[in-house]
Amino acid sequence: MNKKWLVLTPLAVFLLLCVFLLKGLFSDPRELQSGRVNQALPAFDLPDLMTPQKRWTNADMAGQTYLINVWGTWCPTCLAELGYLTELRERGVTIVGLYYEQGYDPDFGDRFDLAALQQEVRDMLARAGDPYQFNMLDLDRQFILDLGVSGAPETFLVNGEGKVLVHHTGDVNARVWRAKFAPLLGE
Amino acid sequence: MIPELGYFSLTLAMVLCVLLFIFPMWGAHTGNLRLMRAAPSLAVGQFIFVLLSFAALIYASLTDDFTVAYVAHHSSSTLPWYYKITSTWGGHEGAILLWLVMQAGWTAAVALMSKSLPWPLRARVLGVLGFLAVGFMLYTLLMSSPFDRLLPYYPVEGRDLNPLLQDPGMIIHPPLLYMGYVGLSVSFAFAIAALLTGQLDNLWAKWSRPWTMAAWGFLTLGITIGSWWAYAELGWGGWWFWDPVENASLMPWLVATALLHSLAVTEKRGIFKSWTVLLAIAAFSLSLLGTFIVRSGIIVSVHAFASDPDRGMFILAFLAIVVGGGLTLYALRAGHVSSEGRYSLFSREVALWLNNILLVVATLIVLLGTLLPMIHKELGLGSISIGEPFFNQMFTYLIVPFALLLGAAPLLRWKQNKLKQVAGKYGLGVIIALVLTAAWLFSSFAKVSAITFMATALALWIMVMSAQDLLQKTAQAQSIKRLGLSYWAMQLGHIGLALVIMSVALTSAYSTERDVRVVPGEQVALGGYDFRFDGVKVIRGPNYTGHAGVVTVFKQGEQETVLHAEKRRYDIGMQFMTEAAVDAGLSRDLYLALGEQLTGGAWSLRIYHKPFVRVMWLGGILIALAGFIVLFDRRYRRRNPKEAQA
Repeated sequence: MNKKWLVLTPLAVFLLLCVFLLKGLFSDPRELQSGRVNQALPAFDLPDLMTPQKRWTNADMAGQTYLINVWGTWCPTCLAELGYLTELRERGVTIVGLYYEQGYDPDFGDRFDLAALQQEVRDMLARAGDPYQFNMLDLDRQFILDLGVSGAPETFLVNGEGKVLVHHTGDVNARVWRAKFAPLLGE
Repeated sequence: MIPELGYFSLTLAMVLCVLLFIFPMWGAHTGNLRLMRAAPSLAVGQFIFVLLSFAALIYASLTDDFTVAYVAHHSSSTLPWYYKITSTWGGHEGAILLWLVMQAGWTAAVALMSKSLPWPLRARVLGVLGFLAVGFMLYTLLMSSPFDRLLPYYPVEGRDLNPLLQDPGMIIHPPLLYMGYVGLSVSFAFAIAALLTGQLDNLWAKWSRPWTMAAWGFLTLGITIGSWWAYAELGWGGWWFWDPVENASLMPWLVATALLHSLAVTEKRGIFKSWTVLLAIAAFSLSLLGTFIVRSGIIVSVHAFASDPDRGMFILAFLAIVVGGGLTLYALRAGHVSSEGRYSLFSREVALWLNNILLVVATLIVLLGTLLPMIHKELGLGSISIGEPFFNQMFTYLIVPFALLLGAAPLLRWKQNKLKQVAGKYGLGVIIALVLTAAWLFSSFAKVSAITFMATALALWIMVMSAQDLLQKTAQAQSIKRLGLSYWAMQLGHIGLALVIMSVALTSAYSTERDVRVVPGEQVALGGYDFRFDGVKVIRGPNYTGHAGVVTVFKQGEQETVLHAEKRRYDIGMQFMTEAAVDAGLSRDLYLALGEQLTGGAWSLRIYHKPFVRVMWLGGILIALAGFIVLFDRRYRRRNPKEAQA
């Protein structure tokens, strides 16, 4: 009796494994599940990209529902989504840009040229549309790290209590908006 | 025309495999000898047709036939001819075809070399192998044919073989690994056939052993070469990354290693029968599971093969039928198997049983570490990643009892031992190992950590005990001759593992590296060597251009060697590749990788000094060699017709 059950164990374990393999087959292995969703937005205190004297903190955005869009001029997908984001802004969505500076690494003695970057940003936004209320510059990438960003573009939906509702990886387009963002905004 | 013939040839091979499954199985079931006798010729026939099919793909690749989609995607006209051949297994479809060639080859080999087996067993073994081949052939013909055409619009030039794969390592690594994976299907077939026949006896274990040994030898060699290839080609100086695809090859190896030892117990003592059968099923199941992991894209890996849910579904369904079927049969039959041998707690049986437990635990750790991230995510618990630290820590814990046991076990006898008989030798072994380790490490290295000391001592313990065992067994001159090749193989395999342990310990502890920014003429010191950067020159290969950083290496002022660390850009696809320069030596490797060009004529350069890293692959080769030597043991070479009636 005892041995009968024992020899069944390998089969049972294998069948259980098969269930997971089957499920795993139809989920995207590259889709990361964010640890940020339903948590408070991490604290930030960052300079404005265009007027660095001005600093932005969580308090400035209190009570508003808005998007944080992580982007950079070096990122082609960001360029591609600017058009749709601008459309969203025209529909009344508040979008805050979080500029992801990729090339700068103080450990390698790089020098940072703010004026050149500002010019690049102005050029790109003039060309493709400017969806942003303002842009913050996270030069040492600390806030970006706190947000759990793995690349650009990534977009976060934050509600009036400062809670992250959505963490989206990749570009925002009409399909993504309808599926992930619109339901939460009651659109 | 030729590719179509290749496809047609494979179709014929599949028809033969369907027959190879039905005839002998039915024959064995009904006791029809004529049907059973058809098996060997069918097995050889399908091998010939699979070979023709593979030859057709090689022909298409060698003649730059870019109307064939597979060739257009994985080869190019500028590729050297040997890489054109290699490119036939550089992509998914071709790799599966290579798998089929191996499968067909093993099947034909079993058909030709199993004349001493009783017909019902022989027929069933071949029938199971035929069934397995049908599954893979269906997959190739229906979902992943390498013979599909790109007509009427085909490219004038191919997309080239991934530069990473343009390396001698790539020529031999996949075939060896596949030989191992597929070879385990023979052990699987023997296990299933034995369960069907209901004869799980010593003879079954004896017949299964050489096949398992050969497959295991190939697998060992494949993994060793893979490790060396990653080291030489990836430019990170690492030799094992616990990547899911590496784990997929390690799991069957661990189980196959357990199986070898367990088969020995079953053959010699007639015990552990149902356990051995389970291991045989598990070893091949893990090969299949590994294939599924690699080919389905279910897990993110640096090996990143194209993923396709349809293909994944097929492989999973096949996996479920083969493994599920095998385990169901096991559940139905193994409960009735009884073991007759008796043994006491202090005996070789128990030592080998512990060896099996440790190997299976190691397998489970690798399996969990590989699949847990996926399971965790599917349960909705979020993404996690399990990396090197987990595996390294677990394997460090496991290797201690494993190595202690490995040194002690060969001196034990079957059935029972008295501690008195061996205690003296064990004590002597411990003392010699400790003294040698202390003498060596403290004289050669400035700092010795506890873990390095322990690992080195364990390696030396295995060697000292092996030597003691050998001395004891050859105490009388005439007894040397009586030691079979199996014995020498065991010694070799164990020494090989000791070398691997030692190498891992020393290279992990004493490897040093430096990332430097150098201008021509600058000198950098590392590990007792001085590296002078002489500048960069432009290089031009058959299908790439690039830069080679020239570095002259000095030891105490004497010129040791000149190294060329290359950075290549392949013409097609514009991919950059680091071709590290390695000055190889048994006691140390000097490893250079050229980085980016910096401002002011400077370059970034990475330098590694890796003591004893090469000993690891030497150990791996010795272990593999052990598997092959056994095949020449007299016991397995006997082809006595009288035995056919046994």
